[in-house]
Amino acid sequence: MSSSSLRTMLAQAAVRGVAEARATIFGHVLNPTGQRSAHKILRKSFIGEKVVSWYPNDIQREDPTVVARKEQERLSKLEMLKRRGKGPPKKGHGKRAAKRNK
Amino acid sequence: MSDKRNIQDQKRRLLAEKYELRRKLYKAFSKDTDLPNDVREKNRCKLSALPRNSSFTRVMNRCVFTGRAHSVYQMFRVSRIVFRELASKGLLHGVKKASW
Repeated sequence: MSSSSLRTMLAQAAVRGVAEARATIFGHVLNPTGQRSAHKILRKSFIGEKVVSWYPNDIQREDPTVVARKEQERLSKLEMLKRRGKGPPKKGHGKRAAKRNK
Repeated sequence: MSDKRNIQDQKRRLLAEKYELRRKLYKAFSKDTDLPNDVREKNRCKLSALPRNSSFTRVMNRCVFTGRAHSVYQMFRVSRIVFRELASKGLLHGVKKASW
């Protein structure tokens, strides 16, 4: 019936008016047609700080004596292996490099 | 804790944080349908010119103790193996074996 369609039109107009008023009061971004908008990307908050603070600070890294000691241990281990003849091969002589060069 | 992979991942995190704002801006501009097409193209080029390691998708939540990339829980930042060890020792507050 035309009266019911008139009523629905009035109701829709009222709802739209209310939505627009609410948007102007609170500063919302309206998109009644549902088109693609960049607002979706812009409204999310930043996550950079949370991402950067994943790994905790290693206090052993701040103490120079500990760092030096560890480096010394690594070098002495390397020297031991070299003395036995088990150190890393020269560049271009390893298993993979030899296969590639052949 | 000082794995080579953890260090690389930390580098990516720092880069991602540094370029975050710029990245969001370029992406938003290039996806806005109301802008003229050449502006969108320009912003798309700018977005692709940013370093690859500044993308958040390249960041991987590794285990803080072992550097394992899979099965790492965000709540504890450790992999399942380390989680089991710590929880069995009682070092994780409020975590106990489930039984119901």
